[in-house]
Amino acid sequence: MRAFLAGARIQLSFFRAYPDALIPFFTAPMFSVIFQMIFKHAGRQDLTGYAAVAPVFIALWWMALFNSGWTITIERWNGTIEMLVAAPSSFAAVIFGRITTTTLAGVVSFGETWIVARLFGTTIHIEHGWAFLATIVVTLAAMAGTALAMASLFVLARNAVTFSNSASFPFYVLGGILVPVSLLPHWVRPISSIVFLSWSADLLRAGLRSTPIHDFGFRLGMVGFLGACGLGVGAWAMHVILRRVRGTGELGTT
Amino acid sequence: MQAVEVQEIRRVFTPRKREPVTALAGVSLTIPVGEVHGLLGPNGAGKTTLVKILSTVLLPTAGRALVCGHDVVTETKAVRPLIGIVFGGERGLYTRLSARKNLEYWGALYRLSGAEIKSRSDALLERVGLTDRADQRVEEFSRGMKQRLHLARGLMGDARVLFLDEPTTGMDPLAAREFRTLIGELKGEGRTILLTTHDMVEAEAVCDRVTLIDRGRILATETPRSLGSLISRFQRIDVEDAPADVLAAIEVTTGVSSVSAQPDGSVRIEVNEEGATRVVLQRLVEAGVTSVRTSLPSLEEVYVQMIGERGLVV
Repeated sequence: MRAFLAGARIQLSFFRAYPDALIPFFTAPMFSVIFQMIFKHAGRQDLTGYAAVAPVFIALWWMALFNSGWTITIERWNGTIEMLVAAPSSFAAVIFGRITTTTLAGVVSFGETWIVARLFGTTIHIEHGWAFLATIVVTLAAMAGTALAMASLFVLARNAVTFSNSASFPFYVLGGILVPVSLLPHWVRPISSIVFLSWSADLLRAGLRSTPIHDFGFRLGMVGFLGACGLGVGAWAMHVILRRVRGTGELGTT
Repeated sequence: MQAVEVQEIRRVFTPRKREPVTALAGVSLTIPVGEVHGLLGPNGAGKTTLVKILSTVLLPTAGRALVCGHDVVTETKAVRPLIGIVFGGERGLYTRLSARKNLEYWGALYRLSGAEIKSRSDALLERVGLTDRADQRVEEFSRGMKQRLHLARGLMGDARVLFLDEPTTGMDPLAAREFRTLIGELKGEGRTILLTTHDMVEAEAVCDRVTLIDRGRILATETPRSLGSLISRFQRIDVEDAPADVLAAIEVTTGVSSVSAQPDGSVRIEVNEEGATRVVLQRLVEAGVTSVRTSLPSLEEVYVQMIGERGLVV
């Protein structure tokens, strides 16, 4: 727990030192305006939920994924990754603390996205407040867990930033965060169903609609389950990969 | 129990599409508790590889290494709280954070309480002379200041065994002297220190024993005094206007390894045996040569000599 908190605290300091990590706070409202305008002028007010949720997911996922890659790359560039691994605290716990802090910071994008939407004439109503809130909490936890799994892979990659940057887009598609999964080819759907984003994006949009949310518990459980799988795989992969790079001597290789 | 025990450690790197590189070829070394041990060698000798293995960030290909009785491969959790690492150079710090933030972070990673982190970081900043710059970003520091902060960071965990990999790189002479004083204080506190360096003067000043390493093999482990005599064996004499017959006679003298003309017109006589310098000087003075200068070879030149000697033996 101490290692997790140490990671969380240092990440807060890094926000001030590396403000570029907060870029999504500037891009999310822009995406929101673009999506709102497209749907509004196409006469598809029924898709307002997609326009409201998509920029938030893009911001959250970008922050979690990009920063997990960025964290590993910065540690390599700084020459600190070997000392981190040699410290008594768990490397995975420190990285998880940093990723979780980043992911939590991403919540700000909810507020700003919806404020900007309002300024452009679209008001977003949350019809199922508690369900919406519960989905956000579980989604954030799942996102941090999944990002840890990605971070462990980035330990293997020489240039994790480039990889993490481009790795975002498949998840945007598979998560159905803007384009509904139902519009994608049939063969994509089974893959999409193991991506927690697709479950949580659906639930958040359902929380905006006035119609009852069916199977809420199961769907929320799936978000949590898939996130826990990500965390478990991430912790295990980090252990295995660290052992591997200690063997190959590539831990500090830039 | 020894602080560090290295038993026949081998480390082979296998780069993709290239021939394997042997960084350590069966190194054995023992460092008792409380000793300051110097590891001397040129670039690529295997010093950093050995330090990385001992600090648990690199696995050996073969052999065994123990720190305070704990295996660095199978007992990393026991080893890590006992060690402090200071890698030389500019890297190893968060340059956009302040010196204090850097120390506080590492203190947290060494599982210190909030109060311990504060008191220890304050004390260490004072000890390395950075109190006035504690809240300044590290990127604004000089190289020497960064080196001092490196050392403070390595001490945050109150390590019993310190690995210092070329810690005085970039320090000015005054700071380097202060650093040596600090090493003495750390030794006085009962800490064991493994120090890698190129600097003979530094090694002689602070080390109880010194190990010479080259191409992954240990050449010798000696006290600095013994090492000094080892180097003095390889003294060289530069002479001007020496008669050719005198030089010819000197060339065949026992202990003279070479006599060679230099681009500036002088002649360099190199010896490889203790006492040979005295004999050569005597002959030169007897021949009326007055322009004579003796000097010690660089560490690297001593290595060349030593490796040559070993090569003949092997």
